[in-house]
Amino acid sequence: MGRKYYRNPPIIEAVCDFRPTQDTQWDLTVPGLFYERVKDAFPHREQRVVQEFELTQGMQVLQQQIRSSERVLMFSEDRKTLIQLGPRLVVINILKPYNTWEGFKKYIEKAWSSLQEVVEVRGLERIGLRYINRIEFTTQDVNLKEYFEFYPFIGKRLPQELAFFIAGAEFPYDGGRDRCRVQLSQGIGDEGKKAIILDLDYFLARSRGVEVSAALNWVEEAHTRVEEIFEGCITDKLRAMFEEVS
Amino acid sequence: MSVIPITDVRWTKQSSSFTYGRIGVEPSLRTLAPKFTLLFTTLWQKIPEQSLSSSIEVEKLLESLQEHHVHLKNTNKIQEYLLQFPDLIDVVPHVVDAAARHFPDAQLVMDMYQDPEIEDRYLVVYVRLKRYDDSIVEKLERAEAEFLDELAYKEGWIQLTTDFQEPGEEDAL
Repeated sequence: MGRKYYRNPPIIEAVCDFRPTQDTQWDLTVPGLFYERVKDAFPHREQRVVQEFELTQGMQVLQQQIRSSERVLMFSEDRKTLIQLGPRLVVINILKPYNTWEGFKKYIEKAWSSLQEVVEVRGLERIGLRYINRIEFTTQDVNLKEYFEFYPFIGKRLPQELAFFIAGAEFPYDGGRDRCRVQLSQGIGDEGKKAIILDLDYFLARSRGVEVSAALNWVEEAHTRVEEIFEGCITDKLRAMFEEVS
Repeated sequence: MSVIPITDVRWTKQSSSFTYGRIGVEPSLRTLAPKFTLLFTTLWQKIPEQSLSSSIEVEKLLESLQEHHVHLKNTNKIQEYLLQFPDLIDVVPHVVDAAARHFPDAQLVMDMYQDPEIEDRYLVVYVRLKRYDDSIVEKLERAEAEFLDELAYKEGWIQLTTDFQEPGEEDAL
């Protein structure tokens, strides 16, 4: 299937993350050394504290733990692209407007190579490529079936009006090494308008499932698959809204 | 189950299906709604899902504000601003919480302010009352004092003020 291009694409954010394995050495000097390598393109540096909650079900007990970790955010001049760096985590976010895959890929390659110059990545716990799409309709009354090939099915004996919905599934790829989480949910729209979020998250599900040297090849393949999945989630009626460029 | 201050939790298991859950809110919003319902029905071993997406974080924040009857105007512009200045995501709940406590009968409206003469824009939370008196300025200053320090080193800005309008048809707190 040839790649499709749209004049009015619904992407509001694309995210690529790399999570090195625990045996990758990481210390407090890493953010500073990393920033030195990317500051030309990402000059604005900020910090955020992120809370992480972990709930683990043991044999007979439920354990909960709340952890705070610091994350360094490095923004491009226009603040539309950013790199987030946390303990054994590098994330590249690109906000709307998303121009091309080639443009995004350059930032991914830059962040990944910069990280490898600073730390010896011993393995990859996870790689992820996520596309968040926001589709805004001009009315509240939208029949999802007309626009999506992935939506919650509501039987005739149930109320047909929804106050809120969320539908999701995970599809396995490459013998379960990878997965793609597809989620359709209601978003926050302007007054009188309905917004729908289509969230596609393609990720390495098996720790060390990909060699460090093959990470960027994985990302390229992930992108191809996400494109296919996106096209599989929408109808021609929705494609017309995005204005396909021939 | 008690309210837990987290950003996002995703539950998964080693198979092709998953259950999505979102639990808890920012601590400051606990005063507005002490009870939260877990959206998932089954507990699995958690695989940590840190908040990596700014747009999802912003959606969740705005969803939470709407659930607490904060009326949002120009939602797209608010989202765009918060995406550009994501460190405000942590401050917004504190602003709303402070406003709700100092003005328990007010309607809160969030909007984007754009200065017509200079390149300046910021988020604004308007307090709308049925009746206004001289005490409103002092109350606004007291509420503002609770979160002003948090804005000190932030790139974006959020202003708590009033436009002296009456509460509209939107729900009041």
